[in-house]
Amino acid sequence: MSKLKKLIPCILAASLLGTSAHAQGLLNKMKQKAADAAEKALDKKTDELLNGKKKNDANGNTREGNQEVNGNIAGTSYGNSGANTSSNSPRNKGGAGLVTTPPDVKENLSTAESAYKTASYGEARQALQQAILGVEMEIGQNLLKSMPDNILGLPKQTEKDKVVSSGWGFTGLTIHREYMEEDKQLSMTIANNAIMMNAINMFLTNGAFAQTAGGDQNWKQTKLKGNRAIIQFDQSSGYKLSVPLGQSTLIVFEGVNFANEQEVMQAAEQFNVDAIKKTLGEK
Amino acid sequence: MKYLVAAFLTLTVFSLNAQDFNKHLATARASYSSKKLDDARFAMQQMLQELDIMAGKDILKLLPVKFDALSANIANDNVMSNSGFAGIMIQRDYGAGEKTAEIQIIGNSPLMASVNAILSLPFGNSSGNQKVIKLEGYKALFQKHIDQESNKVSYEIQIPLNASLLSFKANGLTEDTVLKLAATIPVGQLASMIQ
Repeated sequence: MSKLKKLIPCILAASLLGTSAHAQGLLNKMKQKAADAAEKALDKKTDELLNGKKKNDANGNTREGNQEVNGNIAGTSYGNSGANTSSNSPRNKGGAGLVTTPPDVKENLSTAESAYKTASYGEARQALQQAILGVEMEIGQNLLKSMPDNILGLPKQTEKDKVVSSGWGFTGLTIHREYMEEDKQLSMTIANNAIMMNAINMFLTNGAFAQTAGGDQNWKQTKLKGNRAIIQFDQSSGYKLSVPLGQSTLIVFEGVNFANEQEVMQAAEQFNVDAIKKTLGEK
Repeated sequence: MKYLVAAFLTLTVFSLNAQDFNKHLATARASYSSKKLDDARFAMQQMLQELDIMAGKDILKLLPVKFDALSANIANDNVMSNSGFAGIMIQRDYGAGEKTAEIQIIGNSPLMASVNAILSLPFGNSSGNQKVIKLEGYKALFQKHIDQESNKVSYEIQIPLNASLLSFKANGLTEDTVLKLAATIPVGQLASMIQ
């Protein structure tokens, strides 16, 4: 691969030298060397990437894919720029990633205070948004910690836990947790303090989902621990239970491959809805 | 004497606002320390609204009080904090009757994306009723609107400034006059004040 890195710039430089017979002959030799080096490097990389998965691509032959890639790389020896040259860019293999700890609330409040005193309202605003972000992340993390580790035998998928906040009210706070075993999954999403929540909650609870007698209907009104809710079913996506809470919170449970609505309701009842309401300041 | 009274009232209002901010700050700190996180969040959002109002009043001071013959209707000045939605909204209108103008600044305006998209087009972004101009070096979208019923012509200039959108609208004026008036808006100073 290092040989390839040395050869490719040379090939590009050579392609700009003109079309004399001598240059062309030199170019062909360099192209062949580059293609050989590239093929060896790519074979090795492809094996690493596809290890454990199907080795056949859409054409049924990875060798063909390699050749196609080889063709592209060979194409670059004629000085083709653009997308083909991007396949020779280095791939990132290191780096410490990003630090994702929530902002320090107390520190940001102090910064906001200092900025306010000097009439730097933009800085004060930014610090306050960071403080709100920090608080919302903390609220989200606390809620996730309070949730069950298991729901009806489905273990929580800790790596899928998410708390999303932008630091100001337009998009609000979103908390997400998944439970899964084989192909059975329950996911729970809490949307809080988003500007549209009030409208959505009114829409859900004030008769928009009217129930019909007879005919096809894939939703109905229900209750979860005394809170009005709507349960829906779709053959391709499963069950969805939407529970508006208070003025600005909505919990949505999605059950995939659950046997029936009773099982979904039973799973949703494992959550302490009252504690969620209290934590989020809902009545 | 009346200037002294006005200055006294201004200082009183400012100090009242500062008290509100400090009061909410104290509530936020106390709530956070006692782990009442939702209360802390609410107090901080109140602080944001106070900041928006203060910033909005400072921005209004930068806006022209007169556009040629069109005087600002100071009594209609409006500063609204929509911290939960589109950020701050500042509005001032000028003139009356047939010839009027209006400046509006909206923080985190939902129109930002569409205006920026047009401004970023490299070619062919000028049509009969729309063109890209520059005000103090900032790209702006200049549009001509014709009312279908009355055939009255109005103009609108939209300038994205950081995360805010400044709109200048004019009715009953010629295109040249609108461009001349727009050139007197201190866009650079506003850009540095608006976050």
